[in-house]
Amino acid sequence: MNTKNIVTPGQRLGFAQDYVSGPGTYVRGNLLYASVVGMKRVTKQTTGESPMLTVSREKQQSAIPEVYSIITGKVIRITPKEAVVSIMVVGNSPCKEDFQGIIRQQDIRATERDKVKIYNSFRPGDIIRAEVISLGDARSYYLSTAKNELGVIYAQSIEGAAMIPISWQEMQCTKTKTTEFRKCAKPF
Amino acid sequence: MSGDRRRIQGPEVTVAPIIIKSTDREKIQLKDINGQRRDGRNLEDIRPIFLKTGLISQANGSAYIELRRTKIACGVYGPRQTKIPSFSGRGNLNCEIKFTPFSCLKRRQPYRDAQEKELSQLVYEALAPSIRLDLLPKSTIDIYISVLENDGMASCFAAAITCASVAVADAGIEMLDQVAACSASYIDGDIYMDSDLVEEQRESGSLILSYMPSLNEVTHILQSGKVEVSLTTQAIEQCTDACSKIYSVMNHSLLESVKNKIQ
Repeated sequence: MNTKNIVTPGQRLGFAQDYVSGPGTYVRGNLLYASVVGMKRVTKQTTGESPMLTVSREKQQSAIPEVYSIITGKVIRITPKEAVVSIMVVGNSPCKEDFQGIIRQQDIRATERDKVKIYNSFRPGDIIRAEVISLGDARSYYLSTAKNELGVIYAQSIEGAAMIPISWQEMQCTKTKTTEFRKCAKPF
Repeated sequence: MSGDRRRIQGPEVTVAPIIIKSTDREKIQLKDINGQRRDGRNLEDIRPIFLKTGLISQANGSAYIELRRTKIACGVYGPRQTKIPSFSGRGNLNCEIKFTPFSCLKRRQPYRDAQEKELSQLVYEALAPSIRLDLLPKSTIDIYISVLENDGMASCFAAAITCASVAVADAGIEMLDQVAACSASYIDGDIYMDSDLVEEQRESGSLILSYMPSLNEVTHILQSGKVEVSLTTQAIEQCTDACSKIYSVMNHSLLESVKNKIQ
């Protein structure tokens, strides 16, 4: 392990004209500085630009949801107008403490958006995959599941057994074989 | 005794107060003929620093600092969702400093008093310019500083800032640069760097400087007491030099923590 490449915040990495600033770095004046503790990496750009300098964190910062990122969360509460979700994972990095998000009725599916019933799409306790569409209001982020690959990825039936998706609208309980309505995500 | 309960009744016999002159303070020499202080340091030397990260495993980042007898632990939590509903494009920084009841000579109250509130605000002022809060909308970073032993209030406050800055870097939160802080006391026309409790009791003023060494920027200066301007400028220069030395200690502790994780 080359320990010379470990940098700390504020360390000067190079001149701004020689490199492109990547994640973990920032430009001030004509110098490039590191902004986190981690390993300095230089990646050659394919498009003929200057190489990119990044600092990869050894310790992952607790992730925060950003617009257009895919999140994994658990449905906490449902009302006729929206479903409240506790965001647990953003992309591939977990959040140390959960954030709160909302899926409004019109953002659950792409078609027939006004006729959708929340109770037939999500139930409290379901694990869902959703996309962040906006930073939302003071309390919650706004999420959407209006794509094929977004929706419920794991749910338990009323009996408490795991369910498997049989179509994009229904899931079947593995124990009792009864079907329940959910907006399912397309399995990979 | 009498029926009048609205007034505080004084004693019926009055006696003049007895003033005990404490001559013990005058006896302690702060520096000897060679200019060495009681613990062998020169006037411009700071105390040796022990700094280690990763003390608190539940926190996102943490650090522990020791300056001879001063001991401070800091935990950083975040970025996490702001509890108070108020939308802001920038992240919030919430600093809380707490003296444990056994940290000072006199027992401190367990609840937050006015001094702790003021120091918390000052820590916020010293650290906020260095953290990239614009990258964390709607999130809060919580910094909790716990003073376990306090050997000199000004140097304790400076060490708390240093410790908090290392803890924020340990949490992986993006920063412009680390903040090193250092204190100086003005005693009888001399500048005593990093003074302890005994020296602080004889000071006529103090200066605490928070400095980002790599960017060569001062984030916060706090001066109290009575001092001449020329002495102040000299103290600021000495403090910036000391902060550069503290910066290398901070970097070393962060690099050590990374090396320990890799192995």
